[in-house]
Amino acid sequence: MQLPIYYPLGLAALLFGLGLWGALTRTNAVRILMFVEIMLNGVNLNLVTFSRYYWQSSPEMAAKAPILTLFIMTVAAAEASVGLAIILAMVKNRGVIDVDKVNLLKG
Amino acid sequence: MTTDLLMSGQFWTFIILAVVTLISTYRMVSVPLITHAALFMALSFTAVAGIFLLLQAEFVAAIQVLVYAGAITTMVIFAIMLSGIGDIKAERKSKVKVWHSNPFVVVVGAVFAAFMLYLYSTANLPKEAAGQNMAKVADIGMSLFTTYVIPFEVASILLLIAMVGAIILTAKEAES
Repeated sequence: MQLPIYYPLGLAALLFGLGLWGALTRTNAVRILMFVEIMLNGVNLNLVTFSRYYWQSSPEMAAKAPILTLFIMTVAAAEASVGLAIILAMVKNRGVIDVDKVNLLKG
Repeated sequence: MTTDLLMSGQFWTFIILAVVTLISTYRMVSVPLITHAALFMALSFTAVAGIFLLLQAEFVAAIQVLVYAGAITTMVIFAIMLSGIGDIKAERKSKVKVWHSNPFVVVVGAVFAAFMLYLYSTANLPKEAAGQNMAKVADIGMSLFTTYVIPFEVASILLLIAMVGAIILTAKEAES
């Protein structure tokens, strides 16, 4: 008996919802970046689940399944490195890590 | 739900990994210390890597452990350490529970998850998984270097630009 497709898809949706909740609840910039990673991870789980349940049994089709997941991981790594660098510059220049206190552009 | 499913080891492995994932992600939100949140994030990523293995995506699972549980967690912990001790300790009081946080925010997350679950329950999805994964890592690499070679090169340029940007943003100004 195979695992029904709804279980991993439901887990991915819950993971994304939890990440969304955390990113909107917390004000620490590093922690918000962590929740963005969690949300991207939920998306990856969704993609891997669909590729598992939809691929044809040919190696050519199955070999193309993880490509988009790989690119999402690449972009996530780039986003995390640049985001953390921006946060470190923010801490260095303004001395705050709380996104609520970064209000220089506020009218 | 059939008893057949309840007897399978695949089902219980998935349930255990899913529970670990969800609890550690919830603890990421609720734990007061941000270093603990980073470690819970590593646990969550590792459990999701186990689910990738369960879905026969062993290459993605390996990349998940390398990139997410290894590199990104290390980078986040480095950023926490570099951003000053005062900020780490200042969060100690701000313990977040579901019933303490802004109700609007909880509604946004819950409505999204419920909407996705509703879509999945109404969609015409395959009941059974496809057969055994015939692809080897070599096949993935072959398609990455033939069909998808241009996106691959663009991704490498993106990583190069991200690295240069991170260095420029964090490096100290040269003495003039």
